[in-house]
Amino acid sequence: MLRNEYTKEKRVGEGTYAVVYLGTKQSNNRKIAIKEIKTSGFKDGLDMSAIREVKYLQEMNHVNVIELVDVFMAQNNLNLVLEFLPADLEMIIKDQSILFTPADIKSWLLMTLRGVHHCHRNFILHRDLKPNNLLLGPDGQLKLADFGLARNLGSPQDLLTSNVVTRWYRAPELLFGARHYTGAIDMWSVGVIFAELMLRIPYLPGKDDVDQIDVTFRALGTPTDKDWPEISTFSAYNKIQFYPPPSRDELRKRFIAATENALYLMSGMLSLNPHKRWDSIKALTSQYFVELPEPTTPEELPKLGGK
Amino acid sequence: MDDDEKKDMCPICKTDRYLSPDMKFLVNPECYHKICESCVDRIFSLGPAQCPYEGCDKILRKNKFKTQVFDDVGVEKEVDIRKRVSNVFNKTMDDFDGDLAAYNKYLEEVEDIIYNLNNGVDVAKTEEKLRTYEDLNKQLIMSNMKRNRQDLENFEQQQKFEKEMRLKKRQLERQIEEEEVANREWARREIVNQLSKAEDAEDVVASVKKTVKLKKSSARRKLEDLNKVLKNNPFMMVSNGMLKKKESVPFTPFNGDRDLQKRYVLSETAYHDPFINDLQNKREFIASGFRADFVYDRMLTEAFMGLGCMVIDELQTAQLNGIH
Repeated sequence: MLRNEYTKEKRVGEGTYAVVYLGTKQSNNRKIAIKEIKTSGFKDGLDMSAIREVKYLQEMNHVNVIELVDVFMAQNNLNLVLEFLPADLEMIIKDQSILFTPADIKSWLLMTLRGVHHCHRNFILHRDLKPNNLLLGPDGQLKLADFGLARNLGSPQDLLTSNVVTRWYRAPELLFGARHYTGAIDMWSVGVIFAELMLRIPYLPGKDDVDQIDVTFRALGTPTDKDWPEISTFSAYNKIQFYPPPSRDELRKRFIAATENALYLMSGMLSLNPHKRWDSIKALTSQYFVELPEPTTPEELPKLGGK
Repeated sequence: MDDDEKKDMCPICKTDRYLSPDMKFLVNPECYHKICESCVDRIFSLGPAQCPYEGCDKILRKNKFKTQVFDDVGVEKEVDIRKRVSNVFNKTMDDFDGDLAAYNKYLEEVEDIIYNLNNGVDVAKTEEKLRTYEDLNKQLIMSNMKRNRQDLENFEQQQKFEKEMRLKKRQLERQIEEEEVANREWARREIVNQLSKAEDAEDVVASVKKTVKLKKSSARRKLEDLNKVLKNNPFMMVSNGMLKKKESVPFTPFNGDRDLQKRYVLSETAYHDPFINDLQNKREFIASGFRADFVYDRMLTEAFMGLGCMVIDELQTAQLNGIH
């Protein structure tokens, strides 16, 4: 019965463990996306990321988090019915024909932070924030998606894997292999995305995991014992090259269009020491969001395919 | 004659337009001395150099050279200065909320700056003033520039719309004229036709004229509609609507969705959990960003979660919103 409620109309993409279809919900003609999880390929049961996605999306209901409409089984395959979102932030950044205003950037960052704040207050770490996973609805709303790597904060002595987050958006403590990190890793990713929105190119594009450490600290300075006292605990720390931290002027030159408040917020989110890094509440209450220009309303944000 | 000759000759290399008709003159806003293009290439391609005019010690750069628009150098210079200043001081009447006195004062100030720069009065001080204003009002200047661009776009769109409408109107008018000619012809023939059968001439003429009047052409109706549209000028309304400041909900960073009144207060010292306090002293925990108060905060949140939340009420609101 439920099976007939949704139709699959067009195949739009295929990942390693899922096929994504475009479809319609019959009862109210709403456009939806169906993620069909291939169960057959996995001998030891369902893929982890599918379970994670269902587990966390079911819990959350927020404008800036993708909505999980339904879950059903069909032909022995698990199907996730998700809200249909036609674009993502990466496509917008890469489309050279689209111009951003500072107000647009502010609006996107604001919506990202609201989504992250909602995850964090529910003690869920997203662990894979990047422009590609920030989807844009037809009404311009930005939504966090792909909770395949998400995790809730378990009991405090649990070991977390440090092999999470797409490399360019990985926080320094993860690069050093930390096993007890916090929501601060998501905030780092948001900081990098903010920088990327202003530059229109990836801010810290490391070629491999070792290079990522180098690129990160070349841009932001190597942390010292003084600003991150326990850093020498990480075994990788002693082998790295030392770079001086960038001065305000250097940052200003790199981000020409940014205001002082924008730079302050960005360096807050890109603090190397996770203890000093701003959390979502501090970021959202920053002066940057209050000063002019006001963030663009979602409906007026630039969209793919011309204005 | 002498003057004319001078006008078409480069004073540096003495090439004249008679022998090389493609030559172009360029000026540099530093001193506005006229130099031909090939001289500019020759002298300044290796970097900044002194102006080749005798007695002029300005250092010029190649990328600043431009074609002269006005014959009079004085006019050229003032136009340049005006352009530069008005790019920075780009407020319009709208920015003053209808305060005419303030707006006039502002215009006066702008004119003072332009006059000073143009006539070399207090140049250093005025430049400083310009720069500080630019630094202080970066946001405003950007938004005004955007608005000006939008105004221009709107204006162009409106022009296009009006042009189209005029064209349509003319077409309809021509159509009406043609139809009228045809109608008159038809009426004449109809009268002759009917007269050959009927007897009362006046009756026939009256009835035919009546039918012609009733045959109000569709073109005429369309024209009337068009005129109505033009009178209301929908475009003006659209553009005004777009420029009008939106009455929006005041901005809140959390979109009004923030739990400010928690049901508990996190104490800094009151919890004695030896196990967690122990973790807080482990170096690898601290280094990764671990904090005991995060753990306590989470435990308290979870302990209080759902209190005061009535399932029945929730279900009812969910049903009202059409969610199942």
